Amino acid sequence: MRGAYFDRMMRPLHRWVWADLDRRVRKLLMFAKVETDGGRDILRAAEVTPDPLLRRLYLEHAIDELRHGDLFHERGAALLQAHPARSTGLFSGTPLPGGHGLDDLAIDGEPDYRLLAFLHVAEKSAAGRFEIYRDVVPDDPPTKEIFEQILRDEVFHMNYTYTQLVRIAPRTYRRHVWRARASRLWNRYLRVAAGITGILGATMLTLMYFVVLPPFAWLAKRAERREGTGWRTVSGDRRDAPSSQY
Amino acid sequence: MKVLGISAHYHDSAAALVVDGVPVSAVQEERLSRHKSDAGFPTNAIEWCLTNAGLDADDLDAVVFYERSMLKFERILTSALRTFPNSWRSFPHAIKNSLGEKVWVRGIISSHLGVPRNKILFTAHHASHAAAAFLTSPSRRAAILTADGVGEWATVTVGHGTRSPGAATDITLLREIRYPHSLGMLYSTFTAYLGFAVNEDEYKVMGLAGYGRPSMCDQVRKLIRRTPDGGFALAPEYFEYQTTASRSYSSRFVDLFGPPRTPFEPIDMETTEGRRFADCAASVQRVLEDTLVEMARALHDETGLPDLCLGGGVALNGLANARILSESGFERVFVPPAPGDAGCALGAALYADRIYFKNPDRDIPDHPFWGPAVDARELAKAAAEDGQTVQELDDTRMVERIADDLAAGRVVGWMDGASEFGPRALGHRSILASPQSRGMRDRLNRDIKRREEFRPFAPVTPLETADRYFELPPGGARLGRFMSGVFPVRPEFRDALGAITHVDGSARVQTLDETMAPRLHALLVAFGKRTGVPVLLNTSFNVAGEPIVNRALEGYSTFRRCGIDALVAGGVLVTKAAPSPREGAS
Repeated sequence: MRGAYFDRMMRPLHRWVWADLDRRVRKLLMFAKVETDGGRDILRAAEVTPDPLLRRLYLEHAIDELRHGDLFHERGAALLQAHPARSTGLFSGTPLPGGHGLDDLAIDGEPDYRLLAFLHVAEKSAAGRFEIYRDVVPDDPPTKEIFEQILRDEVFHMNYTYTQLVRIAPRTYRRHVWRARASRLWNRYLRVAAGITGILGATMLTLMYFVVLPPFAWLAKRAERREGTGWRTVSGDRRDAPSSQY
Repeated sequence: MKVLGISAHYHDSAAALVVDGVPVSAVQEERLSRHKSDAGFPTNAIEWCLTNAGLDADDLDAVVFYERSMLKFERILTSALRTFPNSWRSFPHAIKNSLGEKVWVRGIISSHLGVPRNKILFTAHHASHAAAAFLTSPSRRAAILTADGVGEWATVTVGHGTRSPGAATDITLLREIRYPHSLGMLYSTFTAYLGFAVNEDEYKVMGLAGYGRPSMCDQVRKLIRRTPDGGFALAPEYFEYQTTASRSYSSRFVDLFGPPRTPFEPIDMETTEGRRFADCAASVQRVLEDTLVEMARALHDETGLPDLCLGGGVALNGLANARILSESGFERVFVPPAPGDAGCALGAALYADRIYFKNPDRDIPDHPFWGPAVDARELAKAAAEDGQTVQELDDTRMVERIADDLAAGRVVGWMDGASEFGPRALGHRSILASPQSRGMRDRLNRDIKRREEFRPFAPVTPLETADRYFELPPGGARLGRFMSGVFPVRPEFRDALGAITHVDGSARVQTLDETMAPRLHALLVAFGKRTGVPVLLNTSFNVAGEPIVNRALEGYSTFRRCGIDALVAGGVLVTKAAPSPREGAS
């Protein structure tokens, strides 16, 4: 199995990312979350598909993904135990990144061929990426072993999603695979666009915060000083204003 | 009159439908979307509520949102102004979050449901909590105390309610404590400090507290001081939840309590660090209880009423509820099955029905089963297709068979009728097991629920025999109806009930009234005949991090991937027989 051309080109970057222990821990824990969330999505697919064979396969796939999540989680936690994080910011945020978001799968109401095509493309891409990760952690045999194990599972996942896609959509399976690839590209674009928009929005709001808010902040602080602490009488009877949002 | 209540956009979205003054459907969005603590607009829950009642959105007389969204936005903005310039990091996030969706609730509801905007109403967040607590209780006149993290401004309210069949209803909230002073936020700050997920894992802090000594109460009391009027105020220098979304405690907090626990660090009670974390949990638990008991006692003295209705997320704290019952002077304490934000959907609908529309009061059926019903045929079909062993049994034979299995140490997934509304599995979506050995607790934590080993399990026992095994104070059985109180297991039964007796000798017992879940009651009696103790371990039917199962197929997929030995849905029993589906599949 060979990673995608772009990923192979980025191998030095991946090597740099994985060389730092804090980043390695963060990556592993993020993968744990992503794999677990993915597992739950596939579990959902097993619960809603009308096809008995697919139900069994999805269930097996979901169990694999959940186990991968556990493996990543245990390894990240073990590294963290052995080498406490240098970066204080590593866990200060409550939720770790990853999981649903733009790649969130809409399972309910989706036809199986669409999900199978998506899973096939996603598994193939993940396998290529994990192969690179395996190669850039030669100094860390337990982590390398996890990637080895997962890669073996990915082969099964890629194979069954493809064979089942061919089974249920024998005449259109190629089109579904191409559509899934395009959809992944579109999602990547959306992710980048949303990221840029988010940065622009945050910058504008931060500027506004420092330029517009100071006089209002002064007034708000002055008003706060006049307020006591403890119990306050519930202000005004709102029963006559059921349609008010205030 | 048909009123739909909605809670959304913070955590635990839900919908509830009240028709002619009585709930007909209520469900949390997470049970249908299968995303734990789903905070999104509860499209699935609304759709199910309407379908279940055979209604269209056009048939609704009103749709009620559980809080006043613009007032909440005002609080968020004012908080940012008051903490200027320290709030600069959280400000963009808070504003984007609010302006992105949360303040446009009327438009969102209108566009989703197609109902005219004048049919969309709002209640105050704590009024919804109060209504959920009081109007679903059997009490006619009661004092009301609600406490949570924060609603619009209020974090704690006290008041009273009056109702009688066929007459007008009154709910009056007298006083409130306002954000940022919040018992819920205090507890959540410790939840975050102890490495657990805020708004989700607070019960882990309560479980951990059992292992510790409240040796740090003096430090906790530096964080929360009592005000001369009987309220409280938090010391802002120890908290950061007003100024940043990423951390709720400050450096001074860390100076006071020591380094926080990372979420991935195991809690080992044999180590100094493990004991320190447990002592922290025990200390904040003790201070929370003391504060609530004192406020409840003052409310009792003021109102002179014998009944207290508790609402808000803090009312999920069974240890505090039990102390309020024992020490505040109230004779009876009522906690609804869904006291948190999800329950506000039902509270808002009932509030609108009784207070806004002034409809006459009606008694609410005293059970939590307002969700979707399980379809046993769905389970039988899927299990048979997968080659599992499927049996269809009548009620008597099923109960006898499962009692045998449980007595033999097997673990059973139990689905029966409509699902519970609220976070507790109260016998319709439960994992049941024998409570007799500590090994069972460890097995369930490790192989089935996949959660921390310090976590306790709850028992369920028939109401009529509960007092024999548990030290229930007067009114304790009522608090146990929806598993809302933690009480001591009688010392002579602690060994015999090892799997459900927490390290401090307590248990969050469910006292089961036969009329509420007759099949489970029969199972308890049958199990008692075999073992001499009619008590079962009853834990929610889910794996850690997932919502409680709803449909039969969700129970089935959980059964297939963890160590549950038998699965029951109605009259269908499934036991494991088939090999791994991977064999020969690809």
